Amino acid sequence: MSEFAPTCIYLVISPLVTLIPHSVPFPFASNSLTYPEKLSSYECGFDPFGDARRRFDIRFYLVSILFIIPDPEVTFSFPWAVPLNKIDPFGSWSTMAFLLILTIGSLYEWKRGASDRE
Amino acid sequence: MQDFDLFISYFIYNGFTWTNTRFSFSLSGIGSYIRGLGVVLLANPIYSAFSLGLVFVCISLFYILSNSHFVAAAQLLIYVGAINVLIIFAVMFINGSEYSKDFHLWTVGDGVTSVVCTSLFVSLITTIPDTSWYGIIWTTKANQIIEQDLISNSQQIGIHLSTDFFIPFEFISIILLVALIGAIAVARQ
Repeated sequence: MSEFAPTCIYLVISPLVTLIPHSVPFPFASNSLTYPEKLSSYECGFDPFGDARRRFDIRFYLVSILFIIPDPEVTFSFPWAVPLNKIDPFGSWSTMAFLLILTIGSLYEWKRGASDRE
Repeated sequence: MQDFDLFISYFIYNGFTWTNTRFSFSLSGIGSYIRGLGVVLLANPIYSAFSLGLVFVCISLFYILSNSHFVAAAQLLIYVGAINVLIIFAVMFINGSEYSKDFHLWTVGDGVTSVVCTSLFVSLITTIPDTSWYGIIWTTKANQIIEQDLISNSQQIGIHLSTDFFIPFEFISIILLVALIGAIAVARQ
C-alpha cells in the first residue's frame, strides 16, 4: 500500500492549490451588506436590458464528443503497449485492426468538417 | 465529503489493517450514495453534474480497493474526464432560468415511475450477482503466458484483450465508430 503515497500526497496538495486562491478573495469581496445598485451590471447608467448570455454553441459539445471517442481508443492502447513483448504479433495486428477502424471514423470526421473552425 | 475521501486515502497509506478495507469500502460507499442523492435531488443542474463527477471518483476508489488499478485510472480518465465534461456541456444547453419551484407534489405518474424503478432495481441486484460473466468469452487463441501472478494489472488486461477477448475488442472499435458517425451526423444539422 505504500505505492499510494505519492497519490495521497497529490490528493492532499491539489485541492489546497485550488481552494486557497479560491478562498482568498472572500474576506475582501462585497458581502450582503452592499447595496444592490453597486452589485448590478453597468450599462451606461441604464437599467440592464436583459441577460447578457449568448446561446451555448454546439461546437463545444461536438469537441467533447470528438474527444470521448478517441479517449477509449487511447485507453485501450495502454494495455496493448505495456505487455508488448508478451503478446504475439497476433496481438499487435488485432490492435492495428482496432486502430484502423477508428481511423476510418477520424477520416469521416475530417471529411465532414466536424473539427473545422467555422 | 471530499475530505472523507482524502481521509480514506490517508488510512490506506498508513496501512491500518484491522478495519482498513471495510472502513474504506463503507466510506466510499456512503460517499457515493450521498453524492448520488445529490445528483438526483439538487435543484441546480450544474450542481448535479459536478456531484456526478464526485460519484465517479468514488467508484474509482472502489476499483482501487478491488486491486484493479488500471480500471480505476481508466475510470478517472474516461468517466470523470470525458463523460462528465460531456454531461456538463449538455447541461449548459438547458436555459438556466427555468428551475421549477414545486418539487414536493407527488402525482400518480410519480408513483408509477417509482414502482417501475424499484422493480428494475430489485431485478438488477438479483440478476447481476448470479450471472456468470466469465462464460461469455470467445476463446480464439490459447493464453500461453505462464507467469500470470507476476505481471501487473494492465499487462494482464492487454494479454487477455489480445487472446481471450479479441473479438469483443474488435466489436468495441465498431461501436466507437458508430458512435462517432452518429454524433457527427446529429450535431452537424
